[in-house]
Amino acid sequence: MAHEEFSIYQSYQEFLQSDPDMSMPVAAVQSLVEFIRQSQASTMSEFVVMVRDAAQVLKSSARNSVSLAAGCDLFMQAVTRMADANVEECRQNLINRGTKFVEKAASCRESIAELGEPFIRDDSTILVHSYSRVVMTLLLRAAAHNRRFRVYVTEARPINSGYRTAAQLRQAGIPCTVVLDCAVGYIMEEVDFVLVGAEGVVENGGLINQIGSYQISIVAKAARKPFYAVAESYKFVRLFPLNQFDLPTHTAQILSFDSPQSVASPSPSLSDTNSMELDGAALDLAKTNPEVDYTPPSFITLLFTDLGVLTPSGVSDELIKLYY
Amino acid sequence: MSNSASSSPRLPSASNTPKPKAKAPKSEKPAKQAPKNAGPGKAAKVNNASKGGAASSSSTPAAKKISPLFAHLEEREYPATTAQAPSGVHPCVRSLGLQFAELKICGSTARCLAMLNAFKQVIEDYQTPSQTTLCRHLPTYLSIQISYLVSMRPMAVTMGNAIRFLKYHISILDIDLPESDAKGQLIEKIDEFIRDRITAADRLIVQYGLQKIQDGDVVLTYACSSIVKTLLIAAHQAGIQFRVIVIDSRPLLEGLKLLRDLATAGLACTYAYINSISSTMKEATKVFLGTHAVLANGALFSRAGTALVAMTAHRRNIPVIVFSEIYKFTERVQLDSVVMNELGDPHDLAAHKDGSPIDPAASLTNWKSVNNLNLLTLMYDVTPTEYLSMAITEVGMIPFTSVPVVLREYRL
Repeated sequence: MAHEEFSIYQSYQEFLQSDPDMSMPVAAVQSLVEFIRQSQASTMSEFVVMVRDAAQVLKSSARNSVSLAAGCDLFMQAVTRMADANVEECRQNLINRGTKFVEKAASCRESIAELGEPFIRDDSTILVHSYSRVVMTLLLRAAAHNRRFRVYVTEARPINSGYRTAAQLRQAGIPCTVVLDCAVGYIMEEVDFVLVGAEGVVENGGLINQIGSYQISIVAKAARKPFYAVAESYKFVRLFPLNQFDLPTHTAQILSFDSPQSVASPSPSLSDTNSMELDGAALDLAKTNPEVDYTPPSFITLLFTDLGVLTPSGVSDELIKLYY
Repeated sequence: MSNSASSSPRLPSASNTPKPKAKAPKSEKPAKQAPKNAGPGKAAKVNNASKGGAASSSSTPAAKKISPLFAHLEEREYPATTAQAPSGVHPCVRSLGLQFAELKICGSTARCLAMLNAFKQVIEDYQTPSQTTLCRHLPTYLSIQISYLVSMRPMAVTMGNAIRFLKYHISILDIDLPESDAKGQLIEKIDEFIRDRITAADRLIVQYGLQKIQDGDVVLTYACSSIVKTLLIAAHQAGIQFRVIVIDSRPLLEGLKLLRDLATAGLACTYAYINSISSTMKEATKVFLGTHAVLANGALFSRAGTALVAMTAHRRNIPVIVFSEIYKFTERVQLDSVVMNELGDPHDLAAHKDGSPIDPAASLTNWKSVNNLNLLTLMYDVTPTEYLSMAITEVGMIPFTSVPVVLREYRL
C-alpha cells in the first residue's frame, strides 16, 4: 500500500490543530484530499478501495466520529459519483473539488449567521448550550449589528466549555451568565429561545450534539419555547439513530453499572475532547459518560443551515437530494 | 363497526324529545325528507319506521349485509368462482384471479409478483389481431385481464404501480417493431421491474435492516410480512442474539405462516394474539412492520391491526420500523380507514374454514337470516405517521416525512 508512510489520522489531527476554526468534517475532507494527493493507485477500483479504506481508518480512529463521518461520507459520495472516469482525471477532480469545498466551508458559518440573525430580536434572552463556533458566529454578528440581547450559557460539564462561550461573549459586550446544567429547567421560563450547535444532523432532521442538548430540548418543549439548532450543511450525516442507545458513539462502557469493588476501570483516551481543566472526579465521570446525545426531530423547531432555515423534515429532503 | 352499532340504538332512545329528533334524521338521511310537512313528532315516527324498514328491506337480505358506515365498500360473492369471467381472459389470469379471491396468494408483493409472471405468459401468448398494432391493442387486451383480476379482489397498490410501469413501456414501443421483438422487450421490462424494484430492493432493505437489530433485542412484528421474515432469518443467520414476538389476529391468522418459518429457521419466538398487545408490547424493544402501501402523507395502509400495534408501541416509546420497497409508495392520501378499504369474508367470523362454527353454541350460524345483525371484516387500516419512526427502503433509511420527496425523485 502506498499510504503506509502517510498517516491519515495524523494529518487530520494536524489540520484540526493548525486552524482552531476548522471543524471536524472539513478537516476530514482535507486530510482525504491530502491522502489522494499522495496515493499511487493505478486502476480506478484500486483507487476507490484505497480511499474507502482510508476513510474507514479515519472514522475508526477518532473516539467521537459522528461529525468526522459526515465529512468522510461526503467525500466518498463524490468518489463513487466519479466511478467511471479514469484514475488521474478522478484524482485531479477530487483534489479540486475537495479544495474548493474546504475554501467554501469557511464562509459557511457567515452565511448561516446571516440567515439566523433576524431571529435574534432586541431584548431577547437566549439560552446557549456549551460552545459552538457557528453559534458564536451568529451571536457575535448580531451583536456587531447592534442587536441587544442577553445570553444564558450552560456550563456543559465535564468539559466546561460554557465558560469559553461566556468569556468570548463578554468580550463582545454581550451580557452573559453561566448557568449550571441542572438549572436549565429553572431559567427556561426566562428564555425566549434556545440555540445549540451540532456535531451532526441526522437523516430525519434530528441532532447529535454535546451531551445535554437533548434534555434542554425536552425542557424547552415542555415550556413551549422554540429550540433552534445551527449547523453547517456538511454536518448532515447519513445516520438514522432510533434512540440514544442506537448512536454509533454508544459503547458498553457508557453508564454501565460497575460493582463497588472494581472502582478502577480501564480508561479510554480523552485526547479528543477539547478539554478544559478536568478535576479528578470529573475525569472519572467523563470516562463512563456519553459525550454526545441525540435530539429527535420532534423537539427541534428549526435548523439554521447554509442551505436555508429548514424544518427537521426539510433536512431529510436535502439529504435525499444530496445522496441519490 | 362500533360506530354503526351505536348509531342505530340512538334513534329510539331520543324519541321523547321530538324537536331535535326531527332535525337529526334530516341531516342523516336526506332522502327521507318527504314527511317534513307533518308535525315534528309524527315525522320522527315515520322516519323511525322507514329507517327500521330500510335496514331490513332496502336490500335483499342476502346481498346487503353490511353496516351503513361501510356500505360504500364492494361486497364480494363467497365462495369465489371464475364463472363470470369474460371470454377474453387468459387461462392463467383466470386461475390467478381465483387464487387472489381465495387469499391463496395474499400479500402485496406476492400478488404483484404473481400478476407480473402471469402477464409475462399473457404477453407471450398474445397475437396482435389484424388491422391494429400491438401498442394500440395490447393495452386494451391487458385491461380485460386487469379488470377481471380486480373483480376477483380489489387491486393492490403494488399491482397498480406495476401495471402503470408496464403500460408506459407498451406505449413507448416503436410502432414498426416486429411483434416478437416487441413482446420480447416487454417481457424483459417485466423481469427488470421484478429484479430492480423487488428482488434487488429486498436485498438492500435486508442489509439496512441488519444494522437495526442488535444483540438482546426483542423484535415484535404483526401478521406476516415477507420482507420482515427474510430480514429476521438473515439476522439470525448472522449470529445476532434476539427474540421475536409474532402478533397475530383472527380471522386471517397470517402470523402462523411467519411463525412456522421463523421457528423452522431456529429463531426464538413468542406467539400471541393482538388482544394481548398492551402486555406483550412491554417486552419489545423494537417493532418491525411490513406494509401493503405507503401513502403520500406518510401514513401506512396495511393489514388491519397494524395501526393498533404501532399506536401501542408509540405509547411506550418503542421505535416502529417499517420495511417497504418504494414501489409500494403511492400518491394516494387517506386520513382514515373508512373511505377506502376492502371487505373480507364475513363468514370468517361465524365459522372456521372447514365450516365448523366458531362458538359451540353456534349463535352466529344463521347470521344471514337475522335482520339486524351484520358481520364485518376489514382487510386494512391506516396507521398515522406519528406512530412510525422510520421507513427502511432500498434508497436507505428515511423518516416518513420524506415519503413525498421519494415519490417525487423516484417516479416509477
